[in-house]
Amino acid sequence: MTRMSIRDALNRAHQDLMAADDTIVVIGEDIAGGAGVKGGAELGGVFGVTRGLGAKFGEGRVIDTPISEASFIGMATGAAMTGLKPIVELMFSDFIGVAFDQILNQAAKARFLANGRFDLPLVIRTTMGAGDSSAAMHSQSLYGVLAQIPGLMVACPSTPADAAGLLKAAVGSPDPVVLFEHKGLYGHEGDVADDLPAVPLGKGRLVTEGESATVVALGAMRHAAEAAVTSLEARGISIDLIDPRTIVPLDLTLIANSVKKTGHLVVVDEGTDFGGFADAVISAVARDHFGALKAAPVAVTPPHTPIPYGRAGEHAWLPHADTITAAILALLDMQETA
Amino acid sequence: MTLDDLKPLFEKAHFIRAFEHEIAALSEAGDVPGLVHLCLGAELFEVALCANLEGPGDQVTGSHRSHGLALAMGADPVAVAAEILGRTGGLSEGLGGTQHLLAPEVGFLTSNGIVGGQVPLAAGAALSAKTLKTGGIGVAVMGDGATNQGAVFETMNLAVALKLPLLFVIENNGLGQSTSAHYASGGISPMARARGFGLAASHVEGGDITGCLKTVDRLVSWVRETGSPALVEASVPRLSGHYHGDEQLYRSAADSQPDPLEQFEDTLLRAGATATECHTIKTGAHAAAKAAVTAANQQADTSDEAVARWATRLGGAA
Repeated sequence: MTRMSIRDALNRAHQDLMAADDTIVVIGEDIAGGAGVKGGAELGGVFGVTRGLGAKFGEGRVIDTPISEASFIGMATGAAMTGLKPIVELMFSDFIGVAFDQILNQAAKARFLANGRFDLPLVIRTTMGAGDSSAAMHSQSLYGVLAQIPGLMVACPSTPADAAGLLKAAVGSPDPVVLFEHKGLYGHEGDVADDLPAVPLGKGRLVTEGESATVVALGAMRHAAEAAVTSLEARGISIDLIDPRTIVPLDLTLIANSVKKTGHLVVVDEGTDFGGFADAVISAVARDHFGALKAAPVAVTPPHTPIPYGRAGEHAWLPHADTITAAILALLDMQETA
Repeated sequence: MTLDDLKPLFEKAHFIRAFEHEIAALSEAGDVPGLVHLCLGAELFEVALCANLEGPGDQVTGSHRSHGLALAMGADPVAVAAEILGRTGGLSEGLGGTQHLLAPEVGFLTSNGIVGGQVPLAAGAALSAKTLKTGGIGVAVMGDGATNQGAVFETMNLAVALKLPLLFVIENNGLGQSTSAHYASGGISPMARARGFGLAASHVEGGDITGCLKTVDRLVSWVRETGSPALVEASVPRLSGHYHGDEQLYRSAADSQPDPLEQFEDTLLRAGATATECHTIKTGAHAAAKAAVTAANQQADTSDEAVARWATRLGGAA
């Protein structure tokens, strides 16, 4: 067991995977860094996740690209169809717009259109998350958009062990996987087993166990929810906090079994308010387990606006531990007065 | 290139022509689920291109108009026809259809429903060939309509920047659906643009079998040997509508062009073939194409079962 940050856990996982499998290549902008620049040190990606890979594995396997997302995501997709296992870094998930055809129509559909005659071991790592005044075009949490596209697996790790483990599972998956890493969590530390075991896609984690309500949260929201759960303990309220870890496939069994016990559901989501992850979870539970619900489920999401820049505006936009605490209390009160 | 070398290509080109006519007939009979985009006019060039390629080391991606390319790379004609018809025994059991033909086993990686969408994928095949040192190349085939797409420009740049063994192929039939290529590109030719990206580039006439074979051979060899990208533009006529059934009210009689297969036949006759030989080759190719498409049309449509298997597989729940 070693304590390390999400950044370092991801870096270690890359090193282990690349050392074990020559067909793994890493592709993206500035991931080695300084390509064509004389002198200077390796950048290792703007968040430092891929630092040292270029020196260790060479420019043939750690490929710096032009700022040209459609072409390099498409290239990675084609490479995955023909024998390589590319791990692509898309610097910010906001940039999917310029590469969307290659994700929506090419990567997502290739295996289906081939009726499974080949695997598509493509991993797209990307970043998400507000909280650092990166504003409207460098902060979005777009996992809900990609989760709507059949053929893509989507995961959102919130701990170092899960980040490394989901990357390993993603590289081994026959389907393309998009990993959303929260920018605010790269420095977040946790214990990681030395062999960085894979975390199966579609398996959620029960973070805390309780009786009063089920709270589903992922990415940075999982940590905000954990703080809310801790604050509620003092008031005698115990919570099943579930970090689903992957959105597609979603561990609905874990969520449903919890709701059957608690009768109350809160979903915390940094994605958009309309038609996103929270709505998908609430809809699935309401459709299949309506009778288990003692009150209407609650979605805690940002308002349906682009992400503001100013500190006060961004703080008001994001859900926080106190927002989540208030939502849980309101839900339970509603039940008491019903 | 001897007469004996050319005859199999003539046969294959006529097979593709007849295959497309058979598909068109079934389309009119209501047996084809979707709209089909026929490659009439491009057969000669496609056969010449693929004669210089060897799957699965070489991998070709194509546009929505790719029946002929898949066949030219060696895909099983019954499986191609069954896929176009949405039947069992199709390349993908009818899940993909006419615009999404995949036969990577023989080097036809995929065709595409998005204009230009196939081009970055071929860069991926080139990257695999380069990284895995297979000696193969990637080939991105597109129409002139795709040459104004951003993903295509990006891939031209990427291939040069990363030094990928990738051949760009533009089949210029002068029309993107109903819009002229000249209008859509402001009169700037694909060749001029290719050179702007630093690509080695050549132009061929799609009715000139000798020229097509020679130029493609030179460029394919160059890509293979140097590991660098290149581009070939072929002028080909579009002898049919954008799709089969397109009335083409936007075209005038004045733009009618010679048929490359007739030009090919003239080449054979000049090289010493007899009219009877040519006739025999054509008759045989037409009969073979009819047999393949007829066999496919006898298959059942089980695409509902095929999609059901994927619904379980790709469902959002774990």
